[in-house]
Amino acid sequence: MTYRQIRVIGGKGNAPGQFATSLRCLAVDAHGQLFAGGDSEIKLFDAAGRLKRRWSTSRPVLSLAVAGDGAVYAGQPGQIEIFDGAAKLVNTWRGETLLGRVTAIGFVKDGVLAGDAADRAIRHFDRTGKFRNHIGKHNPVNGFLIPNGVVDFAVDAQGVIHAANPGKHRVERYLPTGELLGHIGRFHGTDPAGFGGCCNPTNVAVRDHIYVTEKAGPRAKVYDFNGNLQAVVASAPFDPNCKNMSVAVDGRGLVYVADTVKLAVFVFEPVTV
Amino acid sequence: MSEPVTRRDLLHQVVRGGVLATFGGGAIFLVQKAHGQVVWQVDASRCINSRLGDTGAEACKLCTTECVVALSAVRAVNEYSKCGRCNICPAYFNITSAVDAQGLPSEKLCPRDAIARKPIGKADPEDPANNFYEYSIDEEKCDGCGKCVMKCKEPLGLGSIVLRVRYDKCEDCNRCAISRACPKDALIQVPVEQALRPPELHPRTE
Repeated sequence: MTYRQIRVIGGKGNAPGQFATSLRCLAVDAHGQLFAGGDSEIKLFDAAGRLKRRWSTSRPVLSLAVAGDGAVYAGQPGQIEIFDGAAKLVNTWRGETLLGRVTAIGFVKDGVLAGDAADRAIRHFDRTGKFRNHIGKHNPVNGFLIPNGVVDFAVDAQGVIHAANPGKHRVERYLPTGELLGHIGRFHGTDPAGFGGCCNPTNVAVRDHIYVTEKAGPRAKVYDFNGNLQAVVASAPFDPNCKNMSVAVDGRGLVYVADTVKLAVFVFEPVTV
Repeated sequence: MSEPVTRRDLLHQVVRGGVLATFGGGAIFLVQKAHGQVVWQVDASRCINSRLGDTGAEACKLCTTECVVALSAVRAVNEYSKCGRCNICPAYFNITSAVDAQGLPSEKLCPRDAIARKPIGKADPEDPANNFYEYSIDEEKCDGCGKCVMKCKEPLGLGSIVLRVRYDKCEDCNRCAISRACPKDALIQVPVEQALRPPELHPRTE
């Protein structure tokens, strides 16, 4: 499997479709629309990459997720803001203890998951925001090792959580109850099938495969669920000083990667030979 | 009867304590200098080994080769509060060397083996990679070659290892040989009061 770059969205600048100082998170909805968070703002791009809408958040956006009903969840320091499909703020979950620095959000059957980088854990809430349990906090010892400062995860179609544990060079699988099911990944400094550097992968997305990004040198890769490398999506277009590059995948198989230095979203499509 | 401790005295003690913690034994030489005297300092934002944007470049070794002091008066220091305590530390290991049976890089980075590590926290015997490590630099072995500094900086590391002038070793040359050779003018003279302040590290990318 190979990929080719088909589009670049955003970029550094002050135009409505650009990002002035930061680009931290991506999410795609069921219609292939792209949500991008940065500059205390959420931008919505259509499937062709055109800016459709933008709106402000009360604090810097660190993570984004779109629920099945179209609601947009924006993770921030100390809180999650929830917007309806028309970008109207409908709720805010606050909690410095459980939502210290929300760097990932996801959904399971009847709950909402939030990655709290301040406490190196994933929180499991019900749909009203009532806390249920921690995931990965002390599993089995020390939990997530995140020198990169981000807890990131994605949920597959079966409701299994795939969480990046960069200090251990793994993507770990958890049940929403917190049970550790296993992991893929190993350290290797030169083999692209391994995760290099001190702490990779930093970010993860899941659909038909597991998609990850790494830092130093930055690259995006695809693995099957057994941990076999399927493809290196790209490495060349990213700024070498990038880290914590959010990754998202839509129903067409397009891979979206946020370059946190160029403040641009690179879009790649799979090429079938 | 002892003299009452003034607020100014107390502040002095706090500052001296902080400086001793930051600069190690060299601090005593610094605090003995006269007010207004200048000392040499490495500006991390200029130093090729620590400034952002030089990813992949070879480490600059001019601090080692140019200093008139044996081994050099510039040594690497690990700021523990910034350190990620990674299992696979790119400043400790040569991370592109072959992986050994334990899944770790088989070679160390430092040519003088000046960096040591020890596990901290609780180790899981069934999951040896699941631990934090404390990294310390042996000043007597370090020659300031900057290899570890280059590998520790963002985005590969967290930039906790930086080069510092060791004031107990520095000869205070009027025309520092390193400063004359440094292509980035990273060796600068600052008033001793400024050198006593906790050093500023370069900003992170995010």
